[in-house]
Amino acid sequence: MIAPRIRRALRNSLGAVAAVFALAACTGGQQEAGLELEILKTVRDQVKLRLKDKPERPPVTRALLDSLDDTYIEVRVEDSDLLAYLRPLLVKQDSTPGTLTLWVTEDSVTLALREGVLTATRGLRNDMLSASTLVTETGGRMGPRGQGARRYEIAALDNRSEVFTLACTVSDLGPETIEIVELTYQTRHLQEHCESESGLVVNDYWVDSRSGHLWQSRQWAGPTIGYMRIRQLTL
Amino acid sequence: MAPFRRDMFWRHAGGLSLGLFFMTALATGAAQAQSAPGTDGFASAAPVGALEAPSLTPPPAPGLNFYGTPGLIDMPSAEMLPDGHFATTFSWFGGQSRYNLTFQALPWLSASFRYNGIRNLNLFGFSTYYDRGFDVRFRLLRERRYLPELTMGLQDFAGTGVYAAEYLVATKRIETPPLRFGGAAGRVPGQLKITAGLGWGRLGSHGAIGKIGGNRPSFVGGSTGGQLSYDQWFRGDFAPFAGVEWQANERWSFKAEYSSDAYRTETRASNVFERKSQVNLGLEYQRSPTTRIGAYYLYGSEFGVTAQFQLKPRHPMVPTQVPAPAPIVPRSQWATEAAHWSQDWAQSQNKRVEVRDLVAEDLKSHGLVLEAIDLKGTEAEVRFRNPRYRSYAIAVGRVARTMARALPPSVETFRIIPVRSGMGLSATVVRRSDLEDLEFAPEAVDGLAAVTAVTAAGPLPETAIFSGELYPAFSHSISPYADPAYFDPSRPFRMDLGVDLSASYAPAPGWRISGAIRQRVWGNVQDGRASNSVLPHVRTDQSFYAQHGTTLESLYVDRSWQPRHNFYARLRAGLFEAMYGGISGEVLWKPVASPLALGLETNYVIQRDYDQRFSFRDYKTFTGHASAYLELGKNYQAQVDVGRYLAGDYGATFSLFREFENGFKVGGFFTRTNVSAADFGEGSFDKGFYFRIPLGWLIGKESRNAYGLTIRPIQRDGGQRVGGVGGLYGDVRDAHRSSLTAQRARAWE
Repeated sequence: MIAPRIRRALRNSLGAVAAVFALAACTGGQQEAGLELEILKTVRDQVKLRLKDKPERPPVTRALLDSLDDTYIEVRVEDSDLLAYLRPLLVKQDSTPGTLTLWVTEDSVTLALREGVLTATRGLRNDMLSASTLVTETGGRMGPRGQGARRYEIAALDNRSEVFTLACTVSDLGPETIEIVELTYQTRHLQEHCESESGLVVNDYWVDSRSGHLWQSRQWAGPTIGYMRIRQLTL
Repeated sequence: MAPFRRDMFWRHAGGLSLGLFFMTALATGAAQAQSAPGTDGFASAAPVGALEAPSLTPPPAPGLNFYGTPGLIDMPSAEMLPDGHFATTFSWFGGQSRYNLTFQALPWLSASFRYNGIRNLNLFGFSTYYDRGFDVRFRLLRERRYLPELTMGLQDFAGTGVYAAEYLVATKRIETPPLRFGGAAGRVPGQLKITAGLGWGRLGSHGAIGKIGGNRPSFVGGSTGGQLSYDQWFRGDFAPFAGVEWQANERWSFKAEYSSDAYRTETRASNVFERKSQVNLGLEYQRSPTTRIGAYYLYGSEFGVTAQFQLKPRHPMVPTQVPAPAPIVPRSQWATEAAHWSQDWAQSQNKRVEVRDLVAEDLKSHGLVLEAIDLKGTEAEVRFRNPRYRSYAIAVGRVARTMARALPPSVETFRIIPVRSGMGLSATVVRRSDLEDLEFAPEAVDGLAAVTAVTAAGPLPETAIFSGELYPAFSHSISPYADPAYFDPSRPFRMDLGVDLSASYAPAPGWRISGAIRQRVWGNVQDGRASNSVLPHVRTDQSFYAQHGTTLESLYVDRSWQPRHNFYARLRAGLFEAMYGGISGEVLWKPVASPLALGLETNYVIQRDYDQRFSFRDYKTFTGHASAYLELGKNYQAQVDVGRYLAGDYGATFSLFREFENGFKVGGFFTRTNVSAADFGEGSFDKGFYFRIPLGWLIGKESRNAYGLTIRPIQRDGGQRVGGVGGLYGDVRDAHRSSLTAQRARAWE
């Protein structure tokens, strides 16, 4: 119980510090905040974030998921070990094959999946601006097929983008049974192997043997974000 | 738990335990995640072998020597830093400290500035001798399979020359097997770097093997300096030096060298340290991609240390993160009836005001400010201010999204115009259906750029309606400030700290009344030395101005407007800066797609009294310049200003900058006027360098603020200009075609 008390004390003293800042530095009207002000504000926000209580999470159970009316996917970023639950924000068809679904976290990070294949991220650092996919049809079996080039365009460096074009081949690694929160699915494990001089990317997809629905995948989202593990929790 | 409707879930979930669980879904940096349940299902993912995923990590940079350039310990090597690197180093041994800044301006050219102190030198009338100097290095040959890299260096080539030396140096790198120790993963191979060179001047002072062109003119301590000492270059004795560096892995590096520097001034003319050997040894540790520290044993008697910081302007310290925008929902999904597409709304003033308010509200969520909007049945023009984003491309992209979201379906053509000080800077014209179709296209960035036009903003349409919230507008801020002063021989660094109270009032578009009061809290600039300048003291009375704690920093009326197509103008009257007030006018010609801009600035100024209130001193002058600005490509910009300076001298200033797309800027300038070197005093003519580090580059957040610093080796009175005026070019260029095109990737963010 000591830790929360310390945290509370810190938070209170932080409030005092913030008040001092507020007296010593403030702005009003349409004028842009100056450099010094913005630095103070950034420091203040960072300290606040550090001291904030981390939310406790109840375990995800099928019973809990069944009580939900909405569709959810779970996304875990491997390198940073971050976890989020996303709901669909937009479903659309454009002039590129495949239905596109835009998924959103509560704090406005979005992932665009075309038939389950990641094509864009927004709201992260060095976002994937766009990516071509090996999706060839709309509404059939989800995931990529065949072989061809994949072009990843990543927001990077000084307000520009970096493009990585990789030669990809999709192979079927055979049947696999996977479990997602107490439910098992018979799937085929597809692997997309992409290579170029700039490096190697291996994306994995687990697609339902019968319905062709993509239940689970592990996909590369760019050099900074790294690999993401995506699972469909509810339909 | 009772089932609930989808929309209710998101509206009310905050109060429910389950909702809370999902509402706290995380994004990067927000909080630490707990371990995810059941992720082992991914275990069958194929292990990635020796090949790694594509990376944005810059190539490793070579270590730096005691002079802040790539090298061994006290000797240089032939290596160059990666293009654009900006390195700061501190080195110390035997009572000698050197602060170095090195900028790799081109892949084959680097320039350095150094400030050094030699304790107990007891020469030239100073106990501790402080000096400044510039170096420049050229790569003559690139490293080949069997050939080494070859570099020519001119060290301290224009100062008073205490460290003056020239050299030719060759370095060959040989790959060594990766080693895993000392915190290194051992994935990257090591490198053995073998260096040998010939040095002149200081680097030819021990073990000379020959002589070119007779005796070298000697170093004259305490002279005016500033002139290129080309009569000394590659003259006199020359001596060999050599060394090896073994970069064992990505963390540790071992160095050994044979120095050709006899440290004559320090060890014979004075007694700074005792030199017993010419062999130096060192160990360096790469703490992070930015930071490297080293410990050394030099000249058989002294320990030394270095701390090296390498900033990579193209690689921000923290990559920027902006909240994801709402997607563009194609009109085909929500305007499903013919009536939705009617243009009748455009006839109704009420409806147009309603649309304006909707757009203004949505822009606020992106941190943008609506200035004015013009609505027609199928066309709309939005004029906006951008107080948040360094890149106008992302601002324009966000405005396009707002328009696609808020405007009636009949509007198909968007004209998006960033505005600054009431002036429209450029117009980006884009079709709404292209936005709808391309948002998730495989080549969204280039696809959109191909169908977007950037043209001149043009005058404000008569039918435009202004934002209801902007005029008149009053704003204020209270903010701390820091005001440094450099290179006083008795104390190299001085600083004033305090608080600025500033306020501005904008009665109408283009008009502004602005002022700032400054209260010093602490500082020692007032103890600076008095000027010995024979010119009018237009800049060197800084310490007199620093005697007063509460000052009126500025107070002026300002009017900006566009007199005609491609022209921008500004008039300003009042107190511009701490030292000058008066009246100032500027006109700039800059077509939206032109790499060339021309400007004219004229000022009549009166020097302000030291107390910086409303009174003036007895010095009045006309000053003004004709300027040409040219974008050279690859982020280089050149500028020439010709005219009359504050002290009444005539001449020209030449500047060369490299401004990266993220706003990181490094450059240098010099001014030659009709003031003689003797009248100018120390340094002979005005020169200096400039750098600007954007706040967003440091903290990974969108911001238009930046930390900028102009450093002159010495502040004198020749070639000086009035501050707080001008600047139209910088205001305008950011939003013109070259920037918007180069940064087009950000338009979809």
